[in-house]
Amino acid sequence: MLDKKVLERLLQEGVSQGADFCEIFFENTHSNMLRVTGQEVTDASSSNVYGAGVRLIQGNDEVYGYTNQVDEESIEKIVKNLQASFEGPAYNAKPLGTSNPYDPQVAIPMANKTTKEKAEKLLPLTQIMAEYDERIVQSIAMLSDMKQDILVVNSEGVYQKDERHYARVILMAVAKDETSMQQAYEGPGRSMGFEIFEALDFNELALETAKSAITLLSAEDIESQVMPVVLHNGFGGVIFHEACGHPLEATAVAKGLSPFVDKVGEKIGSDVVTAYDNGTVDNAWGRLSYDDEGRPTQNNLLIEKGVLKGYLVDFRRGRMMNAKPTGSGRRQSYKFSPTSRMNSTYIAPGTDKVEDIIKDTKYGLFAKKMGGGSVQPATGEFNFAVQEGYMIEDGKLTRPVRGATLIGHGKDILFKIDRVADNLEFGQGMCGSISGSIPVDVGQPTIRVQSMTVGGAGGQK
Amino acid sequence: MSYEKWLDLGLKKGLEDLQIFATRNKSLKLTIYQGRIDQHVESDVESVTLRGIYNGKITSVKFENETDVAIDAMIDRLILNAEALTANEPAIIFEGSESYPEVKVESFDFSTIDMADKIQLARDLEAGILGQKNVKQVQSTTYQETANETTLINSKGLKLYRSNSFAYAYAIGVFEKDDDIKTAYDINLVKDYSDFNVSEMVQTTLEKGWAKLGGKSVPSAKQPVVFSNERFGELLATFSTIFSGESAYRNLSPLKDKVNESIAISGLNIIDDPLHDKAYFQIPFDDEGVATHVMPVVEKGVFKGFLHDLKTASIFKEAPNGHSFSGRISPTNLYVEPSNTSFESLIQPIKNGIYITELAGLHAGVKTVSGDFSLQAGGFKIENGQVTTPVKMIVLSGNFFTLLNQIEGIGSDLKFGLNNVGSPSVYVSELSIGGDDSSAS
Repeated sequence: MLDKKVLERLLQEGVSQGADFCEIFFENTHSNMLRVTGQEVTDASSSNVYGAGVRLIQGNDEVYGYTNQVDEESIEKIVKNLQASFEGPAYNAKPLGTSNPYDPQVAIPMANKTTKEKAEKLLPLTQIMAEYDERIVQSIAMLSDMKQDILVVNSEGVYQKDERHYARVILMAVAKDETSMQQAYEGPGRSMGFEIFEALDFNELALETAKSAITLLSAEDIESQVMPVVLHNGFGGVIFHEACGHPLEATAVAKGLSPFVDKVGEKIGSDVVTAYDNGTVDNAWGRLSYDDEGRPTQNNLLIEKGVLKGYLVDFRRGRMMNAKPTGSGRRQSYKFSPTSRMNSTYIAPGTDKVEDIIKDTKYGLFAKKMGGGSVQPATGEFNFAVQEGYMIEDGKLTRPVRGATLIGHGKDILFKIDRVADNLEFGQGMCGSISGSIPVDVGQPTIRVQSMTVGGAGGQK
Repeated sequence: MSYEKWLDLGLKKGLEDLQIFATRNKSLKLTIYQGRIDQHVESDVESVTLRGIYNGKITSVKFENETDVAIDAMIDRLILNAEALTANEPAIIFEGSESYPEVKVESFDFSTIDMADKIQLARDLEAGILGQKNVKQVQSTTYQETANETTLINSKGLKLYRSNSFAYAYAIGVFEKDDDIKTAYDINLVKDYSDFNVSEMVQTTLEKGWAKLGGKSVPSAKQPVVFSNERFGELLATFSTIFSGESAYRNLSPLKDKVNESIAISGLNIIDDPLHDKAYFQIPFDDEGVATHVMPVVEKGVFKGFLHDLKTASIFKEAPNGHSFSGRISPTNLYVEPSNTSFESLIQPIKNGIYITELAGLHAGVKTVSGDFSLQAGGFKIENGQVTTPVKMIVLSGNFFTLLNQIEGIGSDLKFGLNNVGSPSVYVSELSIGGDDSSAS
């Protein structure tokens, strides 16, 4: 790492020709991927992402440059190169402060464990899946761990370090019979070290994954129709993430590209919907002590009883929108300029019981496990896939169905939520947007949407 | 950087063989918003993948910190990882192919073009769309150029080099009419700066946007479907893992025991061509140093064989065919062979159907193991052999393996995408359309 005097000189250089803000982001990230296939350790690879990104801003205009050559000369070259984009007076960079303490949220760093020790935790999981049923033809367990060290400095005197530890276990089971081949998947992740293996019940999860793959063998393709959908807790929160989370990011809002522009204080959903984006949930996959602009993360209230309360804002788009940053500036790596992103986004729990919600639904789809989805913020149209679903008939879960994809529009969907249960849970995913792919939690209790377009390949010709 | 020095270090640390694969990537990205520069990103990054054999096991590490201390630590990490592997699988560092295909397309140096010209190109593109009928705004206008230089060197004496450069530009127009909002763009990818045609991009973007406005859902039904060339290419790219030798070896491809069996209509040919002149990338060798060559994947409906890396080729006792890229098996330029049928003739026999020009959620609504897909889609109605009114917010569902046997026609309009996969328009006899049942007209 470069020393503070050098950094101060580079930052001063950055604001000496029209730019009023200069930031340098340093990163050193080590990640490991380990895969057990059946009863063999089949892959163990490691990678290191290492470099620095420089950002200059004048008013609302931004230039960004990055390199893996982290020395004074290379970074100065970038600063000078970027400077050429601007003209104007010199500003004074503030002296750098000292880093605030950060919480790495780790008990047993993965670096303290050998690859073999990690593999020993995965081998029993593939065994559980393989032994669950003879129709399980493949079982895979993967551990992906990452340690990200960052330093952000800027011309406003910010000097902030952060150390982030991520651990994620991915389980996949493939089942096969005479007519089809089906796959099921689970991928819980935490801001944790090796202690993730104590914190979560992976044996149970392996059983569930295998069971889900077997269930899908006998499931029928769902028939396309418009119907009520009960979305189960946890990863079901992907609906809010796609339909509302992305359109509430300043990335979309600052350009007026969101159905929620100018709607703060207005009703955008039904009374039962309260939602947050929280960057401070202990050990959560989407947690950060400090965002990638060096600001402490916070708990942002997005929607309260259906009324829009705020957006997710990064520094630069905060300038454009005349809004305060919300600790939401994030990026995949030094190869991206930060923008407003989610951390742990969730619909707050209500008072209903899951059993009652199902009992009160005459006909519909119970989406027990969700896959991923996507949204186009400008139009608000979103989609997401159901991994494991069941039909609800006369208030009871009946037959399993597969291949359902749900579509909708962000501006209507929140009004159609009429029931919210008390069982809030998070699910983990990687979220892609203009500043790259980052770990986020989605979350919700079980909810009911009065009607949605459900597509599938089933039904009569 | 002295790659030879790293080879020596690896051998000294006990690796039996090793390979260095270094890619230097320089890029420039400009985005324009309302005439101003919204993003201007310049980069110069070298990343190195070191692949080595230790105690008969092969694995790799990837890094960007090229200091001696860091490289030393990464080689130790590689050894630690190799020690954990238990699978007895072939571990090969390649001595080289007999010959390598010649890449005829020269790399254009985009950095010789003035920055001001590139900014002007993006501004012209945005300005051409702004202010036109129904244009609410332009979400962003992007110009991006990339130059890669790849060096491969290994302890078996192999030394290879390839370079590649390209640039592309597009503007995302936001169109609005009677409360209906749609976006449209047209990506123009070029190998030479002078090939950019701004007025054509403006025109195509506007036409795409206007055509989409006023779209409605349709009632759920099973219907004939025509995929546009770009969308069928996207679907094929998503399912291309079924052709991977690794998928077959791991029991993850339903094609596992189907080599030389019919898997599609007899009129379907799918070819992998590393040097195809319409493709955007020409690839003479893969990341393990294996020479690439033209390979039929599906010929007259018959599955001809898997794409391999060195390991799976050895397992299946076949010659390696040059498909190891970024640590996994993937095609070079995979495409569906076009016919002579024009798009007009292709859709002419369809009384009622859907022309699919948009697909979303391909990372989620697809199961490569079963072939099932269920995707948000949009496009147009086909009525009495003509493309008519726009359709939006539908779900298109089916099974890829079933679909391959339901192809009724293949068009002539082959187009490659940025994903290296190409296709003409493809007409499929029947797929499920999920829509809004109240939208019956």
